[in-house]
Amino acid sequence: MPISDETMRRIIAEYGGFELSDDELERVKPELENYLTELQNLRDLDLSDVMSARLLRPADGGGNDA
Amino acid sequence: MPDSELLKLTISEVAPLIQAREVSPVELTEAALAEAERRQPTLNSFINIMREQALAQAEDAEEALSRGEYLGPLHGIPIGIKDNIATGGITTTLGTKVLRDHVPDEDAEVVRRCKAAGAIIIGKENLEEFAAGATSNNPHYGAVHNPWNVDHIPGGSSGGGGANVAAGVTFASLGTDLGGSVRLPGAFCGVVGLKQTFGRVSQRGLLVTSFNGDHIGPMTRSVRDSALVLQAIAGYDPLDPSTVPVPVDDYALIMERGISGLTMGIPSNYYYDHLDPEVEAAVRRAIAALEELGVETREVSVPSMQYAGALRFSSMADSVVTHEPYITSNREDYGPDTLYRTLAGQFVLGRDYSKAMKVQHIIKEEHARVLQEVDFLITPTTPLPAPRIDADTLEVEGRRQKVRGPGSGHVSRNTSPMNSTGFPAITVPCGFSELGLPIGLQFIGRPWEEGNLFRIANAYEGVSPSRGVWPNLE
Repeated sequence: MPISDETMRRIIAEYGGFELSDDELERVKPELENYLTELQNLRDLDLSDVMSARLLRPADGGGNDA
Repeated sequence: MPDSELLKLTISEVAPLIQAREVSPVELTEAALAEAERRQPTLNSFINIMREQALAQAEDAEEALSRGEYLGPLHGIPIGIKDNIATGGITTTLGTKVLRDHVPDEDAEVVRRCKAAGAIIIGKENLEEFAAGATSNNPHYGAVHNPWNVDHIPGGSSGGGGANVAAGVTFASLGTDLGGSVRLPGAFCGVVGLKQTFGRVSQRGLLVTSFNGDHIGPMTRSVRDSALVLQAIAGYDPLDPSTVPVPVDDYALIMERGISGLTMGIPSNYYYDHLDPEVEAAVRRAIAALEELGVETREVSVPSMQYAGALRFSSMADSVVTHEPYITSNREDYGPDTLYRTLAGQFVLGRDYSKAMKVQHIIKEEHARVLQEVDFLITPTTPLPAPRIDADTLEVEGRRQKVRGPGSGHVSRNTSPMNSTGFPAITVPCGFSELGLPIGLQFIGRPWEEGNLFRIANAYEGVSPSRGVWPNLE
């Protein structure tokens, strides 16, 4: 999911209370791109059977009364 | 014994001399302080050399000895403390200008325990700004230099500690490891760096930047010394809920056991990918050396590591919260690497953080399963030897990889996973590159079994090509 420069600038300003220049925005992007790349990598990973999901499955025994 | 020889001993070598009163804590501390002051213009490894406090502590240690009170192997031993670990009444900056005047009221629990064991704190050590990076190229307090080649980084974020131990300034340094920050300087500076099991050592008094996976651990000149320091700082702290009341083993005793018949796991994926050929060759030689010592080899697979990149989401998001109180009012006090990296954390969504936690769980379970098949895992600590201080990027297999700041992470790819699992890992020197830069070998063990890690690492250390080799700083 790409994030526009305008969105980036606005969210950063909301957090930090300052606006970034175009050059500064470019320096944030490599970290963000790593994050987005990893998200793509996770897209096809089935996490439904991990921990909390497994504990909630009654068929595994014990139910989830708690 | 001349100071230059005295300062090259290990703790386990000098401690009996102190106990026998052949070397005095004051003499040893004065020698260490003189060396610290002599090396500071070259290495820049300290933010604050604590001459007065150290000498006062050394005099107390000497008086205790004269009363017949010997506190154990750390009694009278000069050590360094990374400047993100609280020292009561002494500035603790976290390597940032934002906290340049921050003076904690009390010592961190590990500092208290070191002092109770008789250790002498000679200074607060330089680090990456906010302990957030692998270079120790600090924009406010200056870059730390690697004693093996001062044009290269010592690794980070505990670079001052790694440089001091390697240069013969401190006998041990306490660093902190959130993604490899003890083990990376350990590898790059050619010393032993330990990240014990999460919950083994109190974090109380550590200025944390993430709530997920930070550890305080020792850097030392030998595996035996690493065990001595852990023995002193390990244990349940009722005021730190992250610690676990698991009994602390007698590490010296466990180290005496042989290693023949143990099985080492060599991961067939991830940990041996994207390696510098010199690193791979040194690690393969170390594996062969361990086989010579009777250790059996088994290839193991950790397929979930293909998702290891997600493990960074939590520290990205956590840093946004860490910096929230400062970033608006102190923007001008931030170095660019920390500032721009932190700002990117704004975009981590809650659902993705949660996914990352699940990935972390899968990776942890998988490592736990593999460590039931083998006694320990063996990997390179870093994929490459220490980069140059002025390097922003490096070419790895035809791709540019960032060394520092936003988008970096290649250097810590083999260390950061164990911060997420919480499993113990130790780096031991295993040779040198053609440029004479140290290469590190990482052993990963089962939770709470640091004794076994020491046992294996100690046996390897005895045959390592790095044994007895010192940097030439003259």
